[in-house]
Amino acid sequence: MSYSTNFRSLRRLATASALLGALLGVLASPQALAQAANTKPIRIGVPTSVQLQVGRDTLTAVKMAVDDINKKGGVLGRKFEFVAADETENPETGISAIKKLTADEKVDLLIGGYTSGVTLAQLPHISAAKTIYLGVGAASPSITAKVKQDYDNYKYIFRVGPINAAHQARSLVDYIANFVIGELGYKNIAIVGENAKWVQDLVPVLAKGAKDVGAEVKLTELFDTQTSDFSPLLAKVKSSGAQYMIVVLSHASSDVFAKQWHDAQVPVPYGGIDVKSMDGDFYSRIGGKAISEVAANFAVRAPLTKKTIPFFDEFKKNSANYPVYTAFFAYDSVYIYAEAVKRAGSFDTDKVIKELEKTKFEGVGGEIVFDEMHDVQTGKGKMNLIFAQWQDKGERAVLYPKELRTGTFILPPWMKK
Amino acid sequence: MEILIYGAVTSAIYALLAVGFTLIFGVARILNLAHGSFYALGAYGTYVLTSIAGLPLWTAALVSIGFVAVFGVVVEKVLIRPLRHSQLGVLMISLAVALVVEQTLFLVFGSEYRNVPSFVDTKINLGGVDVAGQRLLTLAVAAVAIGALYLFIQFTRLGSAILAISQDPEAAKYMGIPSDKIFSLVMAISAALAALAGVMAGPFLSVQPSMHLLPIVKAFAIVVVGGLGSIPGSIAAAFLLGYAETCVAYLISSSWTEIVSVLATLLMLVFRPAGIFGKRAAF
Amino acid sequence: MKAFRGLDQFSVTGGLAALAVLGFLPTLFPGKYLIGVLTVAAIYGIWSVSWDFMSGLTGRENFGHSLFIGVGAYTAGFLNVQFGWGPWWSLPASMVIAALFGLVLGFPTLRLRGPYFALAMLSAAVIMQRLMLIFWEFTGGEEGIQDITPLIKDPLHYYWFVLALLGGITWFLAWMARSRWGLILRAIRGDEATCLAAGLPITTYKIASLIISAAFAGLGGALYAHYQLQVSPQLFAVVTSITIITMVYVGGMGTIFGPVGGALLLTLMTEGLRNFGEWRLMIYSLLLIFILFFLPNGIVAPTWNRLRHLFSQERP
Repeated sequence: MSYSTNFRSLRRLATASALLGALLGVLASPQALAQAANTKPIRIGVPTSVQLQVGRDTLTAVKMAVDDINKKGGVLGRKFEFVAADETENPETGISAIKKLTADEKVDLLIGGYTSGVTLAQLPHISAAKTIYLGVGAASPSITAKVKQDYDNYKYIFRVGPINAAHQARSLVDYIANFVIGELGYKNIAIVGENAKWVQDLVPVLAKGAKDVGAEVKLTELFDTQTSDFSPLLAKVKSSGAQYMIVVLSHASSDVFAKQWHDAQVPVPYGGIDVKSMDGDFYSRIGGKAISEVAANFAVRAPLTKKTIPFFDEFKKNSANYPVYTAFFAYDSVYIYAEAVKRAGSFDTDKVIKELEKTKFEGVGGEIVFDEMHDVQTGKGKMNLIFAQWQDKGERAVLYPKELRTGTFILPPWMKK
Repeated sequence: MEILIYGAVTSAIYALLAVGFTLIFGVARILNLAHGSFYALGAYGTYVLTSIAGLPLWTAALVSIGFVAVFGVVVEKVLIRPLRHSQLGVLMISLAVALVVEQTLFLVFGSEYRNVPSFVDTKINLGGVDVAGQRLLTLAVAAVAIGALYLFIQFTRLGSAILAISQDPEAAKYMGIPSDKIFSLVMAISAALAALAGVMAGPFLSVQPSMHLLPIVKAFAIVVVGGLGSIPGSIAAAFLLGYAETCVAYLISSSWTEIVSVLATLLMLVFRPAGIFGKRAAF
Repeated sequence: MKAFRGLDQFSVTGGLAALAVLGFLPTLFPGKYLIGVLTVAAIYGIWSVSWDFMSGLTGRENFGHSLFIGVGAYTAGFLNVQFGWGPWWSLPASMVIAALFGLVLGFPTLRLRGPYFALAMLSAAVIMQRLMLIFWEFTGGEEGIQDITPLIKDPLHYYWFVLALLGGITWFLAWMARSRWGLILRAIRGDEATCLAAGLPITTYKIASLIISAAFAGLGGALYAHYQLQVSPQLFAVVTSITIITMVYVGGMGTIFGPVGGALLLTLMTEGLRNFGEWRLMIYSLLLIFILFFLPNGIVAPTWNRLRHLFSQERP
């Protein structure tokens, strides 16, 4: 059985090789080569958590950018096309997604990411595949640290959003210094976060920074991401004497956390980084129990750049909700890649990387410029963290930074005098 | 003080789960790993009926429990009974059912948490501790349900039939007790209790497709510790474990709570498989 | 030959031919993707074979096999990343450590009857998973350990290495199963009381077979670690154990070679189903139910036996 199959296949292989040889001869002329290259679309692979809002929005944003660029004729005569692969929140599935995209789908470029642990696990495989990776969701500094540590192997990695946990920590410290202490007058804070890599990286920087600006950190606790009963934790926060609770959440059950906090009427308002509460329907899907929570966002529907509001509105037409953070970065990623290719005049990976490093692009949330670790720079005019609060009827008011303020701070209903 | 109250609520939920689990084992010798799925379906059922069908909360809850009870009976009749000759076969198939239910929920509802509205939305202050009204209601409902079950078994003919079968299936058959019908009834009660736990706890615990896993691990732990087939044993063990977990959560850290029950299971199995109250005849 | 004692010609030639086909497959259909899938399939084959040797023969189903897999994988991770040892040390180390766990866990649990051994092992696996998460400072928590160095950089050569190991382990365990050892294990499944009456040290045999099963599972875990280049607590999950048990059921419990076929079949099917994405686990579970009801002897082994009869009839 096996022998006859082998022989038949050998013959097939021989015929195929002969044909291939002839074809290659024809294509050898540079004219023909350019012709063939022109018609092949540029394939974007999107590894992301397809099941979650962050994943869905990444895909919608990529689609929007791809459609827009294709309408204008593509890049160097080639059009974009994209394919998604579900990396879930699990490193093994993530690695398998990268393998599928690079080895099977043979994509030219990767845009995506969400869970830092998954991205870290994928890095060696991305490097082996020599494919450019524009990260839009994972926050751990270790990801871009590799660019500096081992440039030759990891130069393919870029992060197109100021989500580096260390940056986020510094933004939070500013928020604490100027708003929580400065305007609300709360000096005693509690820091509560989920026990994931990005938080483990972020919290030490945050705790130290907070102390440096005069806060008293009464309690720091990291809880298991799977936790569904927060009553012991909330009770501890209350008894610690903290006046404000800073949260650092992404994968954990923010919905349940908010509901339990609300139902127990914990007399400590909270705010911080809470990815799930960035969802447009967060407030309504838990019956309004998120009221008075302040959450960090990377862009809101405000004129941060001239592209911000048009992007938000266009996005809402393509999806049922306003975009979450991965969408802004994914959208910008497609454009900066296109620009880099145009400047390089070719699709050669190494040349494009050199041009990507020189990016100076006005994105949805601010200007995108990369630093030596291929991370986005932060600062005035560049991309920053914005703090907005959930208020009555699900309205969100920007509270900080002061220049972008659109509303005033409210206390939880049970704390109003 | 917090430990006292929160521990009681946790124990009550565990008791509801454990009693149902031990009941079906004591009577039909079935280790039903799909028990957690009943819990999950109770919560999801309420979610669907309130948010999509728009039914009022109490109605939705009762309908949901009824549906799960029927589902339990169907599963028992169609899938489990044919394999009753092999305890491992029953184990495997109930596990497979649990996985299928989880996947179905995942495909239909997605992996994100769903919201079940609370029955009571107030906060009560008990001895200086702020407790959500829903949690106390859960405690009360659980107590009533288990009490009712106890009375049912002790004082009705049907209850005696159940006891008879669990003590000696052969003799019960000779007495003319229709064991198959009783199995279905017990399965319905078992599933209903689990669904009730899901309905009550859904508002304040998480509702997502893999929510069946932890309850089944806990229920199994409790039942092993308390003694398979013994209802008073299960209740006692439920409180033991519930309080142990709460103490660990408050005094050490929440991460260790899961280990408490699984470790208890392992140690009990190794040192005293019959459990605290169980009879050796359990296997 | 003594090595092939008890095996008929069909099984030997068939087995070697199958191995050859598997080895040549990537050269016929070149592409890193296929090699990757086949490597994973081969590793699952090692895990399934090791499970079948203990649980298939004795009938004591081990629901916690993932524990030995995870232990082997994490051993590889620790030695390679934390201690900086060369990757080749992982192989013997993982076997030793996993075997140790087999010894420690086997002692108290193997005297449990019925489903209690299964559930005790399940509990043990869950505890290990939890411990990995609790001591996240040492183990990397949910994200685990990254940056493990590959054993053999070229994926094709690594595949052949894993395939060779699979062949070797299967042959060894099949040989054991046909020897006196296997006879005793099967007798234990039949009737423990009689064995005891005959004076056999059944507990020793049970624990020894668990240790062997654990050692090979651990080896597979290390191979997996050096392929994925990372380890995470997911390896300890119940799903892994259930997947392996399904593969054994599909292959044919107690046949040793059947599970290898089961593993290959199911891994290829899973990748083929990738486009169904979310439906994958659902199809798995439904398959399990189907097999439990209608094909309790599996697919691979009965098919192989039928082929064997066909061929033996052809011979004059």
